[in-house]
Amino acid sequence: MVTEILKRDGRLDSYDESKIVRAVERAMRDSGRSDFSSAATLGVKVSDELSAVSKDGRASVDEVQKAVETALVKAGYEDVAKSFRLFRADRTRTREKNSALMHTFDEITTRDARDSDLKRDNANVDGDTAMGTMLQYGATAAKEYNEKFLLRPEQAKAYREGDIHIHDFDFYALTMTCCQIDLIKLFHGGFSTGHGFLREPNDIRSYAALACIAIQSNQNDQHGGQSIAQFDRGLAPGVAKTFAKRYRTDLAEALSLLAPDGAAVPDADRMKAVFATAEARSGEKPLLGGSPAFDAALRADILAAAPELPEAALDKALAYARKTAEKETDEATYQAMEALIHNLNTMHSRAGAQTPFSSINYGTDTSPEGRMVVRNLLLTTEKGLGHGETPIFPIQIFRVKDGVNYNPGDPNYDLFQLSCRVSAKRLFPNFSFVDAPYNIQYYKPGHPETEVSYMGCRTRVLANVHDPDRAISTGRGNLSFTSINLPRLAIEAHGNEAKFFAGLDAMMDLVAQQLMDRFEIQARRKVKNFPFLMGQGVWLDSDKLHWNDEVREVIKHGTLTMGFIGLAETLVALYGHHHGESDEMQQKGLAIIRRMREYCDALSAKTKLNWTLIATPAEGLSGRFIRMDKKRYGIIPGVTDHEYYTNSFHIPVYYKIGAMEKIRKEAPYHALTNAGHITYVELDGDMARNVKAFEAVIRAMHDAGIGYGSVNHPVDRDPVCGYNGVIGEVCPKCGRRESDELIKFERIRRITGYLVGTLDRFNDAKRAEEHDRVKHGLGGSGSAGA
Amino acid sequence: MNQSSAEQRTSPARAADSMESAARERVIRLAGFDQDGIADGPGLRCVVFVQGCPHHCPGCQNPQTWAWEGGAETTPSELRDRIFSTVLDTGVTFSGGEPFEQADALADLAQMLRPRYDVASYSGYTFEGLLKLSEKRPGVMRLLRSIDILVDGPFVQARADRLLLFRGSGNQRILDVPASLAAGSAVWTKDPAWVGEDGSARVAGAAFE
Repeated sequence: MVTEILKRDGRLDSYDESKIVRAVERAMRDSGRSDFSSAATLGVKVSDELSAVSKDGRASVDEVQKAVETALVKAGYEDVAKSFRLFRADRTRTREKNSALMHTFDEITTRDARDSDLKRDNANVDGDTAMGTMLQYGATAAKEYNEKFLLRPEQAKAYREGDIHIHDFDFYALTMTCCQIDLIKLFHGGFSTGHGFLREPNDIRSYAALACIAIQSNQNDQHGGQSIAQFDRGLAPGVAKTFAKRYRTDLAEALSLLAPDGAAVPDADRMKAVFATAEARSGEKPLLGGSPAFDAALRADILAAAPELPEAALDKALAYARKTAEKETDEATYQAMEALIHNLNTMHSRAGAQTPFSSINYGTDTSPEGRMVVRNLLLTTEKGLGHGETPIFPIQIFRVKDGVNYNPGDPNYDLFQLSCRVSAKRLFPNFSFVDAPYNIQYYKPGHPETEVSYMGCRTRVLANVHDPDRAISTGRGNLSFTSINLPRLAIEAHGNEAKFFAGLDAMMDLVAQQLMDRFEIQARRKVKNFPFLMGQGVWLDSDKLHWNDEVREVIKHGTLTMGFIGLAETLVALYGHHHGESDEMQQKGLAIIRRMREYCDALSAKTKLNWTLIATPAEGLSGRFIRMDKKRYGIIPGVTDHEYYTNSFHIPVYYKIGAMEKIRKEAPYHALTNAGHITYVELDGDMARNVKAFEAVIRAMHDAGIGYGSVNHPVDRDPVCGYNGVIGEVCPKCGRRESDELIKFERIRRITGYLVGTLDRFNDAKRAEEHDRVKHGLGGSGSAGA
Repeated sequence: MNQSSAEQRTSPARAADSMESAARERVIRLAGFDQDGIADGPGLRCVVFVQGCPHHCPGCQNPQTWAWEGGAETTPSELRDRIFSTVLDTGVTFSGGEPFEQADALADLAQMLRPRYDVASYSGYTFEGLLKLSEKRPGVMRLLRSIDILVDGPFVQARADRLLLFRGSGNQRILDVPASLAAGSAVWTKDPAWVGEDGSARVAGAAFE
């Protein structure tokens, strides 16, 4: 007699014949039968069968299932037995699915981020914190759901098996990638974060604070980074307002001290009205660097109101007030920039798990106010955070433009030089180049929104087939992107070029369909799903929509983007060499990437949507694809024999090549990758000691037609004495050895465009890549003199 | 290091150097070559590391360059072509090894490079020592007359300082060679690219807190 059942997880339960009867009934129903009475008879037969084989009154789940199947077949119910088997198989899959999900949760919960690649997928999230863990639970469950419910089977297979990578897949059903925020528009008349209304700011400090809040609020509505397109122009009005206020109060104060007793000079309160009148009369605002019409009107008004005030005293007061106000405004701006950088490095979004991915573009505003913003931002970046640490955020992008800041004599040339000095010490700013042919074609003088803006990691949005009159950077961004595993297509082609291109075309068809499917999901979302991005009119034209409207029409300003990884390995797999090694391979590489670009352009023409090609910033991806391909194809020299596939079109980091040669080889790919690109030059040594060399590299990039670039160089810091520079085993300043004590030197490195303070948060592939980086053109033999 | 023992360890390359006829190109024994270097002078530079050194300073970074044998043979024109192909680099630094042990060949190279490149050389000899040496070895004076900057003197471990710009120890000087030759005595360069905006030839105070 069977009394107990042994379950899969080891627990014992009492044997219940009625459960078997119900399972048989279900199977009968599934196979279209209705003679349920025989189910009860079968139940008895199963119990008898089990009692016969069981010695201790126990039966396992498997034994029960087998007995049921046998009983069904014996009774002539072959079809019912079949549907019973299917039902059991389905239950098994579900069980395994659940347990796989639960095992992943278990890893997220119990393993240290140091030991878990899964938890370091995004170097900017601290996987060890409570909120970081909660974010990962959500992401893991969302991916599971998205794959099962939202992808077509062929897409799910391609994604699962590593033919493609769907970026930010956890946010598949929810958000778009990124947006270039237009601060001037946002601040005009004030804005709301959903928890209260913020008045239009009136001081540079408020401007800076609200700029941070804009980034933070928008970050909660998107899965990618947040960028301010025109940081200098956006904050310049704040400087002007601070100056006007200081000028006014300083003047009232100076007059009260300099005027003879009894003179009716305006006090601080009345001065407001006096300033307003002078502004109205002269049609000019009080400006940094001089506002002669305003000053003249002001002077006349004050003299008229206080005839007994000696003119000399007034002139003295005016001169003092202007000089003092300029100095105070400069100091206030410095403090505002310092606060902004501290803020962006400490504030959190996404349930507190992640610092917003913030970027700011600047460098072409030649107004004294805009220049004051940039100079102070750079100076505070150079100084570093509280203990001199290199700020990780925001990613700063200095926009280089001939005639504005590139050559001696250009109005902002001093700021370009300061940028070089700061970047040589702090790795930021990066440099973007408006003069590159594919950027300058959209540039309209007097329309800063037509200057190219980059999202820190590399994303670029400029052309607009949906609305060609608005080929601008501001208020737009990427909707979603998916990358293709190019090396695998090459491996599968076995050296057959035609086969490779056929495979590439088929893969692009698949990706295009998937991006279109995702677009459809995004298009059905409503303004209310993006309370800040759409609700506050940050996204282009979203201010024309109502709370419950679909965002379909306005997101057509965004880009649908294909990406790629590992061009170098692709070329090696196909032809035996990569594009760093010969000009012939360079032509082959360009042919592949051109094919992808032409595919996107053709789709744009057909659909009037912005299909673009990106040089994928490969973070988690750099290791994921190659791990799968190693398993599938084994070690192929030059292809799968590293821990990572090379980033987009880059020359492999382990390949020794001169800086100029690398720039020259990579520049043509910038022209093809209209959704974004970046070129890095690796230099070894303390760049801060040789700013001239740094500037030479940036100029070479500009002249070669690079769109966006930066120099990677080691930046170390000793937290004990505060020395910042290159540190080997011994700190040059205090002589401390790292191995002597527990406190390690901090080593700032760049990963996928973002700076990371320690290598701990690099995933395994990225750590290996960092390790392999060859400093361009250097043999590392050092100098005899040192 | 006194002069006589340095003489005993003098370079076979130098011997070959001086015996070479003017018609045939001189040979440089090369320990290494870098392009886009940023550590051996301002701007991006090519660095020519010669093989062979008589000084043997304790704590030397490149002891593998001491032996007179080893390295590889090359010629000034070969090196010139490599340097011309770099595009970005605007300066050339001779290092080693002891450049002045191969003075004639390096002077040939320097003359091919100037004025398109600024040329600097390290030496374990002092400027005064080189002047004296040049009485016996005309090549030494030829090289001095062919370079812009000399970083002179041996590496002295007791005076090692990692915060020095382009130098290893505090005894070393960054000299304006034409000015020094004109004056007959060592003259520091005033070029801020070499000695910093504050002229201290050390990392500026702003570089750390």
